[in-house]
Parts: sequence; C-alpha cells; structure tokens
Amino acid sequence: MNDLLLLVLKRLGFGLLTLLVVSILIFFAVELLPGDVAEAVLGQGATPETVQAMRDQLGLDRPAVVRYLEWLGGAVTGDFGVSAVSGEPVINAIGDRFVNTLFLAAYAAVIAVPFAILLGIVVALLRNSVFDRVANVLTLTSISSPEFFLGYILILYLSVKLPLFPAIASLSSDMSLGELLHRTFLPALTLVLVVTAHMMRMTRAAIINLLASPYIEMARLKGVPPWKVIVRHALPNAWAPIINVVALNLAYLITGVVLVEVVFVYPGIGQALVDAVSKRDFPVVQASSLIFAATFILLNLAADVGAIITNPRLRHPK
Amino acid sequence: MATFVFGYYAALIIASVILAYVDYKKWFLMVFSLLLVSFVAGIVGGAGALEVITIFVAVLATAAAVSYAFKFFLVLIAKPNLAKELKTAPLTAAFGMFVIFTYAVAGIFAPLIAPHGQAEVISGAFAPPDANMLLGADQLGRDIFSRIIYGARNTVGLALIATLGAFFLGALAGLLAAVKGGWFDQFMGRVADVIMSIPSLIFALLMLSILGTSTWVIVVVVAVIYSPRVFRLTRAVAGNIVVMDYIEAAKLRGEGDWYLIRREILPNSTAPLIAEFGLEFCFVFLLIAGLSFLGLGLQPPTADWGSMVRENATLISFGDITPLIPAAAIALLTVSVNFVVDWMLFRSSGLKEQ
Repeated sequence: MNDLLLLVLKRLGFGLLTLLVVSILIFFAVELLPGDVAEAVLGQGATPETVQAMRDQLGLDRPAVVRYLEWLGGAVTGDFGVSAVSGEPVINAIGDRFVNTLFLAAYAAVIAVPFAILLGIVVALLRNSVFDRVANVLTLTSISSPEFFLGYILILYLSVKLPLFPAIASLSSDMSLGELLHRTFLPALTLVLVVTAHMMRMTRAAIINLLASPYIEMARLKGVPPWKVIVRHALPNAWAPIINVVALNLAYLITGVVLVEVVFVYPGIGQALVDAVSKRDFPVVQASSLIFAATFILLNLAADVGAIITNPRLRHPK
Repeated sequence: MATFVFGYYAALIIASVILAYVDYKKWFLMVFSLLLVSFVAGIVGGAGALEVITIFVAVLATAAAVSYAFKFFLVLIAKPNLAKELKTAPLTAAFGMFVIFTYAVAGIFAPLIAPHGQAEVISGAFAPPDANMLLGADQLGRDIFSRIIYGARNTVGLALIATLGAFFLGALAGLLAAVKGGWFDQFMGRVADVIMSIPSLIFALLMLSILGTSTWVIVVVVAVIYSPRVFRLTRAVAGNIVVMDYIEAAKLRGEGDWYLIRREILPNSTAPLIAEFGLEFCFVFLLIAGLSFLGLGLQPPTADWGSMVRENATLISFGDITPLIPAAAIALLTVSVNFVVDWMLFRSSGLKEQ
C-alpha cells in the first residue's frame, strides 16, 4: 500500500510541475505582444496619459518575473487580478460562470457515462454484426461533426420545429432544479452526443482487446456460459481501461464546452473566454485559460491514478 | 397520400418476399426489419414518418450506389497492385474517397463552378432562393451557394496547409529524436507533454488573441498545437526501426543522420504515418472550423464554412436549414476522411480484430 501511495504522490508531483510550466507559458505568452497589454487593449487612438494610467493600474512597469510571481501567488488563492476592460476583479467575472460550466459538464457526464459504457459493452459483444456496423458509422459521424453543427441541429428540431426545449439557456439564481435541468437540456444533450460517441468507441476497443486475451479463450473452451465470461472473467480486468476512458472523456468535455456554450449563449466560463478574446481582455483570458488547463491536467492525472490503482502491474514497473 | 402509403408497404413486402425466395438472408433481415419499423413508425407518426424513412433510405441507397460505381472506376484506372487492394475496400471507404474527390474538384475549380464571386454583393440581405441564387443570399446579400464552393477552397486549403505544417514539425522532431536520442530526445518529449497538457482550443484562443488572426499566424499556431501527436507517433515508429541491424550497418558505413532518416527510416514507416495524416487532418479541420465559428479564423470577406454558420445562425430560428449546410459540409468531409483512414488502418493490420 505504501508503494501505491508513493507512486500516486510522484504522479501528483509531476502533474503539479506540468501545471507550473503551463502557467509560465500562459503568463509569458502575453509578453509576445508588440508593445504591452495597455497599448494592445486601448488601441492606437489612446493618449499616452490613458496608456500610462492603465500601466499603473495593472502594474506593468515592474519586471515580468515579479508580476508572474504575484499573479501565480494570487491565482492559488483565487485572486486573478483585475480585468483590463471593466477594471473589476477577474474572479467576479468568471467565478460564478465556472460553477455554471461545471454544472453543465456534470449534467452531461451523468447521462453520458453509464449510457456510453453500457452501449460500448453491448457493441463489443455484438462485434462485426450489422448493429455494430451501424453503431460504428453513427459514432464516427457524431465524432466528426463540429459541436456547433450538432447544437444547431438540436435547436432546429427540438426547439424551432417542435417547441420542447428553449434554444437559449438563460439562467437565474431563483430557478428550481427541474426548471434548470429543462433549460440546460439542449446544451447538455449536445455534449452527451459527442462524448458518448468517443466513450463508446474507446470502451468497445478496450473490451475487444480484453476478449482477445488467452485466459478468456480458456474460460470459453472449458464451457463457462457467455454471461459469466463477461461478469466474472472480463469485467474485473476491464475496470482499468473503462476508468481511463471516462476520465479522458471528461477532459474532452472541457474543450467541447466552449463551442456549446457559445451556441446556446450559456453563461459559462467558455463564453467568458471567447468574449474576453474578442475584447482583448488579457487578464480574463489568462485566468480562464489557466482554469481550463488546470481542470484538463487534473482529469488526465485522475486517469493515470485510476489506472495505477486498478492495474497491479503498473505498481511495479520493471 | 393513401396510394403512397399503400405503395410503400407493398414495395417492402414484395421486396422481402423476393429476397426470402432467393435466400439472401442478410438483405432479407434488413428489409424485413425495416418493414417492422415502418409499421410502428406509420402508426405513431402517420404518412409523414414513412416519407422521412423513404427519403432516408433513398439517400442511403444513392450514396451506396455512387460509392459502388466510384470503387469500380478506381479499380479500373488503378495499377494492378493497387486495384487488388481497392477491390477489398468496404463501401464506406469508397464513399469517403468519392467525397474527398468531389471536395478536391470543388476546391480546385471553385472560380469556374461558383456562379458569383465570394465577396460579390448581388441582392438584398437574406434574399430567398431563386433561379440565380440556388440557396438564397446571406446577411449581406452574397450568394450562399458560391460562398460554400469557395469555402471548399479556403477552409479545406487552410486546414491542409496547417496539417502539413504540423506533420513537418512533428515528424522532423520525432525522427531527429529517434536518431539522436539522449538529452534531445528527453527534451522534445517534455515539450510535447507540456503542449498536449493544454486543451487545444483553449491554447489556440490564447495564442490567436495575442498574435492576431492573420492566415499565417493561424497556420503556425495550429501546426504547433497538433505537432506533438505526430511527434509521439513518429518517435515510437522510428524508435522501433533505429534498433534494426540495417540501421547499424548504415551507421558503420559512415552515413549521416540525414541519410538515415531519408533513406532508411522514412521508407519503412510510411504506412502508419499516412493513416496518422488523415486523422491529424480531421483534428486540425475541426479545430479550424471551431475557431472560425468563434470569429478567429479567416477574416471576412473570405468565404469560410465556420464563420458562415455563425453569421447566418439567425435563420435557424425561422426553421431554415441553409445555415447548416456549411456545417454539414465540414462534418461530411471529416466523416469521409475517417472512413478512409479506418480502412487504411485495418489494411495495415494493427486493428484486425479476431
């Protein structure tokens, strides 16, 4: 057990190191700007006085390294500085929105994960049948479609032609949970479609890989009934790849959420990032990029740790 | 309407009886299950549902027929070796190749095919379709059909250049890392790890907000973001090759790194790299489509599929599907490339399942 803890800690340390490097990358990328943030935000028409005022406000005349350390120190405690456009603290602009995004992702994940794993196993068992071929073509189509395509199709059919769900996901704090789930159903469904396809294909590949191993063949040859082969022999070894698949796809959700939020005008952090990019509000861009990257790294880390815990062979690397 | 419903069921029943008589089990099962599904759909949705099914089946059958014919055509014009491989290709792969071929023609001959220029304002905003404009006009009064054709040149061309860039960067780094080994290998590996640990769309948004959205910036940013995938694959494939005896022999002959890469390693690693090129193209294409949907792609008035969807999205709330055509064009090309890649991966073994 001690070995395991050490291994997980080591992996965790490596994840933190990656996050540190990524934060350096995100912060110093802005230094690539011709001129500086103040000039870029205010544009060419600004007077030298206003540019200087913004420099003072953002503390731009100090060395970049000092500003980086302050930014990082603030980011750890949730303080991302002030927005270059509105002058308000960044955390006010994106804090609530991040919670909304997590809600949307969780909503989609709760539907997609059990559904996709079940379908993946079924398709793996029926492999090379007509059902499998059809599922293959359908999932491939879903993966290949841009998120906004799926989103607009759902709007067209479930909101315009059949007015079942609202096309715009406006939220307010006094809504009941049922109302909330109804309003955010279409964005969640879009994410479900994309993620389910990915997850199904990966689950199918993992299970088929497993069913090809000699000990399954052995179990079949000695006359174990098919359902028992799956439940007793295959499933215990399938958990590792399935946990991996789930974590990787949750990480994938994080990127997909940006486009879906824009399509449905959902008040999430992805929408905030896109707005900030068009307004060139760099503190907000940096903060949301860092939050997205941190979530992404965390989920990839969870995939690794899950794999280590469920697969004893990884605990003793040769 | 009654004749349609009657004819619909009669056709299905006759078809299934004929198939049962000639003992085509697989086809019989398909037609007969379609018949059962239609009974349910007909009762629930009425004649409208049956019409939808008919259209769907007709589209599917046309696609299958076209792919079959295109496959036959390819087999005829290909060299004997290739023709043998093509004969075993599934219909989906043939369909993919046909779509890619169509897009290539549309892209290359865009100015000849499109009736109007991509930036030419010829009518009022959102004018309905007429004899002059096949799909109507967009929000500025430009012909949507012409812009879709030009989009095949602009969007696909941009994605192709970016993919080539990613491939060049990634493959070069991977091959050098495999040949040189040591600290260079380690260093490139870590760099790839860091780039891959930022979600690609977020990374692209960050870089484009800083560097602006000129075409070459997009190409370079996207190429850098997707090169680590190619790097890892090339490194893995080349890593298996550099330990071979013939590489050792070439080294003893005194050949340089460049010779090893060009004459010994590359010829032996083309198959996985070509399949990876297809996959990579899909990723790059979807990323660029997403970026241009967010307004960070090719800048107006250049026709671009992603931004066309965004600009005309208001039409969707009136039940018009025209804005979805560019999005469907993106999806269709990505699916087609995936079909072809699937077949190539299957062919070069690796994925041959039991």
